[in-house]
Amino acid sequence: MQSHKPDFTLLDHTADLGMTVRGADLKDLFEGAARSMMQVMVRGKPPESTRTKRLSVRGEDLADLMVRWLGEILYLFDGEKEVVVDVQINSISKSRLDADLRVVSFDPHLHEILCEIKAVTYHQIEVAKKAHRWEATIIFDM
Amino acid sequence: MEIKLEKIDEYQWLIPKTGPMRVPGLIFSNSSLMKAVQEDQSLTQVANVATLPGIVGHSLAMPDIHWGYGFPIGGVAAFDLDEGIVSPGGVGYDINCGCRLITTLLHAHEIRPQIKGLVSALFKNIPSGVGSTGGVRLTKREEAKVAVEGAAWAVKKGFGSAQDLERTEDNGAMEGADPSVLSERAIKRGRDQLGTLGSGNHFVEVQVVDQIYDPDKARAYDLFEGQVTLLIHSGSRGFGHQICDDFLKEMSRSTQEGKYPFDLPDRQLACAPVKSDQGRRYFAAMACAANYAWANRQVIMHLAHETLISLFSISPRELGMKLLYDVCHNITKKEQYTVEGNQVMLCVHRKGATRALPPGHPLLPEIYRGVGQPVLIPGDMGTYSYVLAGAEKAMVLSFGSSCHGAGRLLSRTQATKKAKGRAIHRELEDKGIYVQSRGKRTLKEEMPEAYKDVSQVVEVVHGAGLALKVARLRPMGVIKG
Repeated sequence: MQSHKPDFTLLDHTADLGMTVRGADLKDLFEGAARSMMQVMVRGKPPESTRTKRLSVRGEDLADLMVRWLGEILYLFDGEKEVVVDVQINSISKSRLDADLRVVSFDPHLHEILCEIKAVTYHQIEVAKKAHRWEATIIFDM
Repeated sequence: MEIKLEKIDEYQWLIPKTGPMRVPGLIFSNSSLMKAVQEDQSLTQVANVATLPGIVGHSLAMPDIHWGYGFPIGGVAAFDLDEGIVSPGGVGYDINCGCRLITTLLHAHEIRPQIKGLVSALFKNIPSGVGSTGGVRLTKREEAKVAVEGAAWAVKKGFGSAQDLERTEDNGAMEGADPSVLSERAIKRGRDQLGTLGSGNHFVEVQVVDQIYDPDKARAYDLFEGQVTLLIHSGSRGFGHQICDDFLKEMSRSTQEGKYPFDLPDRQLACAPVKSDQGRRYFAAMACAANYAWANRQVIMHLAHETLISLFSISPRELGMKLLYDVCHNITKKEQYTVEGNQVMLCVHRKGATRALPPGHPLLPEIYRGVGQPVLIPGDMGTYSYVLAGAEKAMVLSFGSSCHGAGRLLSRTQATKKAKGRAIHRELEDKGIYVQSRGKRTLKEEMPEAYKDVSQVVEVVHGAGLALKVARLRPMGVIKG
């Protein structure tokens, strides 16, 4: 559904679902994490028109920022019935990010839900630079 | 982390207290189930829970234990009210996820020819699937009433009867619920999800009583061989998820800021002292979600009742639908136990575990005081579910707790891989089980092989004396989200 292919792999977790996401820099990593999560959750045709939503998220550190960032996108889907079709992070630091989200209203005729993610957990959350790339491991509650 | 295990007897394994653990860990299992447990990280999670402040006795795990997030699924832990903590992760996102078993006067042979039609009708009438809505839409004011009154709210609105309440844990309403502590998001998410099943492992199952183990207790529970029963498994939906999420974030921040004097081995174990303001507010919010879940299962039961009446063109009296019992799987409660000879109130967390009160317990309704609390153990959709009765040893060994289901064996991705190229619904049909599900992947992820053998799990609980077998139920039809 998204315009850029995120770099991620799914992790085996007995009860839930985990993923490792990689990115060239923090912006790439956080954008990739959002796209990966949406890709796992929903499938649909590219929309003809989208709306833009501005989002600011604060966190205690990078791991907390990641949980809260993905949590906001998940809330938009589950609470507001809005599908985030793409994200663009305009600025990011260790404790804050500002982003523009492209969203469409959920439409059961256009969107197929692939799996339900109840929440983004803090369990074994990790966001770190490994060699020359950034990597995040996130476990979702299903 | 290497976890040392000591076998105590046929059904109990001890994790000795080492390093930062404040108490030992204790796992109820058998040799065969233990092999799978040692392959994932659930034992480390039992040890992690043992490090939390104020934990009393043991960090416990039931035989259906598997790797969760923070606490293991199948974990039970009790905390001192003065020194101990309360942890949203120790309850889980789906607060008061639980199940209720309903008996009828129908015989399996009477409905067998119409089972496909019955499954379709239930599927049509009970909203299911991700973010499912359309059950009962609530105003903000009514939602607050649901959060305080629980199942009684539903009964007042005509969903079921007053006798259902005494057959529900805590009479379907936990004390101390306070909607004023809820976030706007939680309220918004609860507005249109009452009376909906949800997705994942949630289901409504049409079953037949296939075997009776204890005729006296079965009689007390109104169970007979060949009888049609219904089992509903659902929780507090997005309302509960949001409450857990809100408090985890808040408590995680407090922990990071050093507000509380303890270190946590996993951020998902974020918690607050029971007597702190945060702890008290979490209790008040969690009780709202628990009550919402009881109202939810009450409404779903009513939808099932109406479906059966209309499909079979019979009177309510002929159908004879009766709630046997409703139990929670994900909850924390203040309960009284004897510790080192003293009666103490403890904050007991059950995450994927069922309360199992023995005969004579004062919290039991009159009708079950002589036999013990019905303990409902759903299996996977291809095998059996069990009804047990709470037993005395649960009060001594497991803070009045038992297992809650089969417990996952395969991850969802492993299950999907294993199911590739197979028509799971057809395989089940060959066994006489008709399934309808909303999500395309649900059936694969929830296939019978993804779960442990529920019979073995139940044998451990029975053998350890936590709860005793009463009857076995075989699925005939299932609807899934």
